[in-house]
Amino acid sequence: MTAPQADGTAEVLATFAVASEPGNERIALRAVATAAADCGLSADQLERLKTAVAEATMNAIEHGNDNRPEVPVDIAVLRTVDAVAVTITDRGGDRAEHADKEIPDLELKLRGEQRPRGWGLFLVQSMVDDMEVSTHDGLHTVRLTMRTDGSIRAEGAHDAQQL
Amino acid sequence: MHSSCEVTLRRVPGAVVLEMQGEIDSSAAIPLQAAYDDAVNALTGELVQRVVLDFTAVDYINSTGIAVIVGILAQARAARRVVAASGLSSHYRQIFDITRLSDFIQMYADVDDAIATTAPSA
Repeated sequence: MTAPQADGTAEVLATFAVASEPGNERIALRAVATAAADCGLSADQLERLKTAVAEATMNAIEHGNDNRPEVPVDIAVLRTVDAVAVTITDRGGDRAEHADKEIPDLELKLRGEQRPRGWGLFLVQSMVDDMEVSTHDGLHTVRLTMRTDGSIRAEGAHDAQQL
Repeated sequence: MHSSCEVTLRRVPGAVVLEMQGEIDSSAAIPLQAAYDDAVNALTGELVQRVVLDFTAVDYINSTGIAVIVGILAQARAARRVVAASGLSSHYRQIFDITRLSDFIQMYADVDDAIATTAPSA
């Protein structure tokens, strides 16, 4: 294991895989929560990271790996000097991001002019400080970053009691 | 699909409380819709029809669960029923703010507050 360095080298806190079955995002969020527990995230940040990981993993299971249980979603939890990052990799390759690209509009949904679903990517982007998507050799990776210096998100300043 | 969400209906003066327990994801659609339909029946004849969604015993909500709530809210608004929510953790309250559900759902810290607002004045 490599300790985080000022040059951005990341320490790998955990790596694991989940089978592409609906519901396994719960396994991912619990494992990430355990790995990132002592990384300097506030309780509020940790809850937001868990939600982002769950949603990104759901997308990987459903849209990347087509709910095929034999195809894994690979997850890594990393720590740098000023952030915690989680990478979520599926075998969906350079796919066009699915209909979640549609920006959800609650008023349109309530009027039946937009489908009720489609919140996943929106939630992921809303929960973390940064989200990057990359593809390589048939792999599709989402990298979620939550900064630990406390200067990015004003709402991150209030630690909250979470379920 | 098996659902880990259970919904208990509680009639109070001026409203029906849907006490949810477990996880709110896509599988919650069936039990929540059934409970909502029962609530509508229980509210027949009420001048103001108010449905309180109590999340006190809910420990997980994902995007597909948000969609289920949107569906219930859409039905309620189409019938001019008022929807309130209680017992959300600060994290899920934040999600209700981000999605703007809190613009259309009356938000209360706990179910007692929601019921107190509902109770007809003497």
